[in-house]
Amino acid sequence: MNSTPTVLNRILLTLLGLKLLAVGLLLVLLATVPAVAAWWHPWSAAAWSTANDAFNATRFPGRTESWLWMVVAFALLVLIGLMVAWVAQQGKGRSNLLASEYDPGEVPGDVRIGAGVAEQALKQALAGRPDLASSSVTTYDVKGTPTLRIRLLPRQGVAPHLLAAEVSGLVDALDAVVGRKTPVLIHIGAGARTRFGRAERVR
Amino acid sequence: MSSSVEMRDSDVRAGKGGRHTGRSPDMARIVRRETRSTRAGAAIVAAVVVMALAGYGLLEAAVHAIGQPPWLIEPQVAAERLTALPAGISPLLLGAIGAVLAMVGLVFFLNGVAPGRRARHTLAGGWLESGRPAVVIDDEVIASSLARRARLAANVTPEQVMVVVSQRQVMVNLRPTSGVPVDGDAVLDAVREEVDQMALDPAPEVRINVAPSGVVGA
Repeated sequence: MNSTPTVLNRILLTLLGLKLLAVGLLLVLLATVPAVAAWWHPWSAAAWSTANDAFNATRFPGRTESWLWMVVAFALLVLIGLMVAWVAQQGKGRSNLLASEYDPGEVPGDVRIGAGVAEQALKQALAGRPDLASSSVTTYDVKGTPTLRIRLLPRQGVAPHLLAAEVSGLVDALDAVVGRKTPVLIHIGAGARTRFGRAERVR
Repeated sequence: MSSSVEMRDSDVRAGKGGRHTGRSPDMARIVRRETRSTRAGAAIVAAVVVMALAGYGLLEAAVHAIGQPPWLIEPQVAAERLTALPAGISPLLLGAIGAVLAMVGLVFFLNGVAPGRRARHTLAGGWLESGRPAVVIDDEVIASSLARRARLAANVTPEQVMVVVSQRQVMVNLRPTSGVPVDGDAVLDAVREEVDQMALDPAPEVRINVAPSGVVGA
């Protein structure tokens, strides 16, 4: 529904997981298997001396510090920026517009219908129902198409397919008012309020 | 109570259906995304971990670059200790650190690779074709609805029925009242009928388990 980058999430999580797994297994092997330690010593020493040479070759003229540290700091800064960008992508995708279209009538300009129209109308229509513990309506922008997500928390024992049928009637009415069909997802869920609230007894 | 449910059902079915055609084509994608975990939580945790590590590295690198004394450890000293590794630290501690890192890595790795299906079903059958909204239902809601149906069919209290809904199976556990026999097949038929009306995707198979011992005083 929202534009959370699920594939990117999975790729990055897999990469990070594999790296941590490899480092952890290496440490465990170093601690337990002497043969691994024998391999690790020359290998890591060689790697470190290469890095050390690089640091020594890149000193500021007349100073002891290498400018490579600046590069390292900058690279880490970029990495932090990328991570912030990644977190900011999670759960994005809300939209403020339900419809926006050029009006071919005599009045110049185009017509825009805010997302609040659908959200408020549906919320009002659902507010009085005794079989719902709560409900919420949000508009998401799914690849350029405004899409409504209706989240219903029915009380215990409510038949979900009948509830969905009734709410889809409300959506039909909304479509008639707005004048165009809006894609809608109805999510009938359970939460703490439905779990511990009273069950619906009589309708 | 159940008769009123039936009446409303037929009402709804007769009232409309097939009035709309041509829903936006990406509905299947939305439903697919909605029934799977987005891994947003794990992603945020991973990003925060990487940010913390990078932040510390940034601090030490910057401090080193301007020639100040290090905050926790000089990077060169740290690297030399790493190359010397099994020496300089107790093997138990080293193994424990390694095991913890490997565990965290495994959790992230499985989060990235596992299918991550949520406990949800969608409405299938004539529902989507008629151009009505896509519907995603938590298994818990289905279970409580079926439990009510089973309770009414068996004439027992809510505490005596427990329904477990999984991806492909619905398990109805029933404890009859002591001395009042329960017709398991009748309850099974009632629950099956309700499941068939729902037309869930994937369609679960209904099973019933009537407990051999009854509840006293229910």
